[in-house]
Amino acid sequence: MSQSFYVITWTDVLVSFILVAISLGLIRWWKIGLEKTLLIGTLRTFIQLAGMGYVLTFFFRQRHWLFMVTLVSLMILIAGFEGYRREKEFRIPHYFAIVTGSLFFTVFIVLGIILKFILDVQPWYYPYAMIPIAGMIIGNALNSTTLTVNRFIGELQHRDQEIEMLLSLGAPARVAVQDPLRNSIRAALIPNINSLMMVGLVQLPGVMTGQILSGVDPLIAVRYQIMIMYMWITTVIIVDILVLAFVYRQFFTPRIQLRRHLLLKKHL
Amino acid sequence: MNKEPLFRLTSVSKSIAGKTLLNDISLRIEAGDFLSILGPSGAGKSTLLRLFNGLDSPTGGTIEYLGKPLFSYPMTELRKRVGMVFQNPVMVRGTVRDNLCLTQRWGQPSVDLTEETLVSVLSRVGLSPAILDQDTKTISGGEKQRVALARVLLNKPEVLLLDEPTANLDPQLARHILRLVHQLFEKLRLTIIMVSHDHSLLSNYTTRIAFLIGGKIVEEGAAGILEQPSTEAVKTFLAGGVT
Ligand SMILES: Nc1ncnc2c1ncn2[C@@H]1O[C@H](COP(=O)(O)OP(=O)(O)O)[C@@H](O)[C@H]1O
Ligand SMILES: [Mg+2]
Repeated sequence: MSQSFYVITWTDVLVSFILVAISLGLIRWWKIGLEKTLLIGTLRTFIQLAGMGYVLTFFFRQRHWLFMVTLVSLMILIAGFEGYRREKEFRIPHYFAIVTGSLFFTVFIVLGIILKFILDVQPWYYPYAMIPIAGMIIGNALNSTTLTVNRFIGELQHRDQEIEMLLSLGAPARVAVQDPLRNSIRAALIPNINSLMMVGLVQLPGVMTGQILSGVDPLIAVRYQIMIMYMWITTVIIVDILVLAFVYRQFFTPRIQLRRHLLLKKHL
Repeated sequence: MNKEPLFRLTSVSKSIAGKTLLNDISLRIEAGDFLSILGPSGAGKSTLLRLFNGLDSPTGGTIEYLGKPLFSYPMTELRKRVGMVFQNPVMVRGTVRDNLCLTQRWGQPSVDLTEETLVSVLSRVGLSPAILDQDTKTISGGEKQRVALARVLLNKPEVLLLDEPTANLDPQLARHILRLVHQLFEKLRLTIIMVSHDHSLLSNYTTRIAFLIGGKIVEEGAAGILEQPSTEAVKTFLAGGVT
């Protein structure tokens, strides 16, 4: 069963450029004018993923826990920096530390549970499990926090009067922003919960497709996918709540005053 | 026996981004005052009012409440004692009842929200109990202003800060609201600090007036100074001119 029946060779990959060629022809015919960008994108996909293959091969040969921990930490730092960079319109104090710290915590919890109790990997730092799962957790967490935090700031901007009204009645900061917190987390979660509802009905997730194509029994692939879906929703909930728990505090002074100037765009 | 004034402001100033909005303001407010702060638009009236319940901090000088630094009080408790009604009465989504019971969100056991109390506070602000379950989207601007007043009154404040409570209302409604505020002042013995850019309706109600022009208190005294201002800036302002 586990013999890989559809092995793609590098030549096969080159042949798949035919697909890109068709796309190129189409956008040229309709004068969309993105030929150059598409070509660059095509080449970058090839180079980056091929490079990643070699890098992963190297990583997968490593057998030291310290190497794996350093690697995952590095991935988290890069993601933390990327999250910080994406929040360029507003200056949230300590944002880099908040995102990075929350990612560390989330990865520790979710990855820990998966490696220790679900996959029961021996040893726990076995790279074939640790690297791809950590990558998935970090990537999903990063995208979700970006959405959630942007939505939260948007809510603060258009509800500033309501927030100050609540403060003036004696509300603690946490209560004054309860609705913005709730709305921004809901906005991030609803699409994710929808895909829990829809997964498998229309489209197979990419990971599963890849597994099945490379010869894995669908029943095994499905089990992985179920675990991945649960991992993914948990990751998003933990990291969003954690990030917002620290972010909302940045918008208040110790005297429970709304720091309105943080709601102005940076260049002002 | 407490001879401390309710509020004592000493050389209070406020600047934001290098701009001076309030400049060297010293003011004593006694319990039982009805103080009107008058001044043209942009004079810094709202900026000043927001200092009294700690929604903002001054950048210079000190504010004392009953002889102790304002910011030495727990802010949530202070803001219950020093209630505020904003120029735009903000309603949260939901009914009038939801808006009156907002304090439930942070579990304030000391705030009485029984049906009886709600009805009585509504009648105090001139609203009928029938409005309780109406959606705030369907009530008028004047009614919103009254609901906002009722909401603050449920906290049983000692001081009421009002930021141009009549600015968005037609003159007749404005008179109603002012009369209402005056009734609260007399019946509940509230101290009132009210900001306004329109002096025409005030003289019957207010006990003290301070003129705030260009971030400075240029004149301050009993209601009588409306008739005989001593500074040119105030004369020009009262005559409806630009200062
Ligand atoms: N956050 C702020 N940053 C800069 N300037 C401000 C800010 N808030 C208010 N101002 C300015 O301060 C001045 C006084 O504002 P305000 O207190 O609202 O006046 P008033 O209530 O008397 O009309 C205005 O010129 C206003 O533009
Ligand atoms: Mg104002």
